[in-house]
Amino acid sequence: MIVNKELPKISVDNASIAYTNQDFAEPHLAVKDVTLEVSANEFLVVVGPSGCGKSSLLAAIAGFLTPQGGSIKLNGKQIEGPGADRGVVFQDYALLPWKTVLDNVGLGLKFRGMSKAERDKIAREHLALCGLADAEAKYPHQLSGGMRQRAAVARTLANQPEVMLMDEPFAAVDAQTRMTLQEELVRIWQQTEVTVFFVTHSVEEAIFLGDRVMVLSSGPGEIKAMVDIDIERKDRDLSSLNSNPRFQALRDEITRLVRQDAA
Amino acid sequence: MKTLKLRPYLLAATPFIGILILWTVLPSLLSVPAYKLPSPQLVWTKAIELTGDGSLLQHILVSLYRLALGFIVGNLLAVPIGIAIGVNRHASDFLLPLLTFLQSIAGIAWIPLAVLWFGIGDGAIIFVIANIIFFSNLYNTVIGVESIPQAYYRAVLSLGASRFDILKTVIIPGAFVQLIVGFRSSMAFGWRALIGAELIAGTTGLGYMTLDAVQWYQTETVILGMIIVGVIWLVMDRFLFRKLETMTVRRWGILQDK
Ligand SMILES: Nc1ncnc2c1ncn2[C@@H]1O[C@H](COP(=O)(O)OP(=O)(O)OP(=O)(O)O)[C@@H](O)[C@H]1O
Ligand SMILES: [Mg+2]
Repeated sequence: MIVNKELPKISVDNASIAYTNQDFAEPHLAVKDVTLEVSANEFLVVVGPSGCGKSSLLAAIAGFLTPQGGSIKLNGKQIEGPGADRGVVFQDYALLPWKTVLDNVGLGLKFRGMSKAERDKIAREHLALCGLADAEAKYPHQLSGGMRQRAAVARTLANQPEVMLMDEPFAAVDAQTRMTLQEELVRIWQQTEVTVFFVTHSVEEAIFLGDRVMVLSSGPGEIKAMVDIDIERKDRDLSSLNSNPRFQALRDEITRLVRQDAA
Repeated sequence: MKTLKLRPYLLAATPFIGILILWTVLPSLLSVPAYKLPSPQLVWTKAIELTGDGSLLQHILVSLYRLALGFIVGNLLAVPIGIAIGVNRHASDFLLPLLTFLQSIAGIAWIPLAVLWFGIGDGAIIFVIANIIFFSNLYNTVIGVESIPQAYYRAVLSLGASRFDILKTVIIPGAFVQLIVGFRSSMAFGWRALIGAELIAGTTGLGYMTLDAVQWYQTETVILGMIIVGVIWLVMDRFLFRKLETMTVRRWGILQDK
């Protein structure tokens, strides 16, 4: 373990997450005994088979769920509930249908009391960044799935959180846009202090983005492996990454870890 | 293009015209006496007469005033209480049983007590209308709030929303589909209660006008009153509630146009 003098940004200590359901007497265990530290400005990627508890773990860090046992801390303080310090990009977008794209993206700034002119300016910058400049006056139901996803990403970015919790944020966008967004995300991450907790099903994406990739076992999710991505950022060029032997080795290793378990 | 725009109006008018034709033809064929069912011409003549002396407009305005006041009072109570019940477990446990108990006896069942408390006239009638409108929209509001997806609350909370922000940006717009349904159906109930209450506790208004007419066998006036209530409601529905719907929930894609 790396000895870090700095306080970890997120520390998950022996946390389990269970859903109590009226239909079942037994609570359904979604995540089991996860212990994890994410340091400040780290980019952590989580992969694992469908239903293994990735979204549940993310929801617990966001403060939507309380872990059954153990604890989850942000900057050393117990997480009590959701807050603007942890921005979330939801798997199902969660854009407000009654707000235009521009107003959705400026929502967090509005809650902070920023003036309309100021927040529209910032929202427009982030919409442009996500390739949605032409869609600002539309309502979410008028957007395609990929556009909604980009609007959701823009909304979280515009609010400049300390931690970004992203749940398969690029799953519904086309390959071309996805590459742009991945590169932009890395650029933003490098330019700021933001810490990223990123859930994906794509092993390639995980390796391109992550400092470390955490592999969860199938449900109830336990940490199966933590893989350091030891490829220099300057060597992670999307156009040539595929032919990098280290990339290929990591991809095969992580794919094997995920599949072994799904089978 | 032009025919396309006209079509819905033509379609809407057809059943009305059909009824008018039947109403003109059938009574004379079956020889129904005019005091039981007067012809459209007789009703029309009556309408001209009562418009001429101003009494019809007077009755209409009085009824609309009572309805509007009852609607406002009823909803000003129903919407906040409904929201409180929808978001708060304790408010729900505390209020819901009592309100459910009262719901079964809402509306015109209160006329006798209302007359005792407020006397014959506006007070009693508005009380009864507000009462029925309150109960008819309360449950709509509760359902509206309860059906808001959890994801919206989560999204605004992680953007830093305060309680008031949540109310303004999630709860009220999120409950809007049901609120409009509630406004509309409560207004329809309000109309019925209005006529009922005026029959008993009124000395003016459309309900009173029809009851008074019955005593003199002026069936034309009774039918005229019924037609006017229907027409006003139709206009209200089209130009108030439909408009509100188009401007909000249809625009947001929550309700879809055919
Ligand atoms: N609200 C809920 N109530 C009950 N059980 C739930 C709830 N949400 C998730 N679960 C269960 O918890 C487990 C983990 O779900 P979760 O959504 O965290 O998986 P995931 O890894 O994000 O899957 P995916 O990759 O498909 O998004 C699943 O077995 C699921 O059925
Ligand atoms: Mg998920």
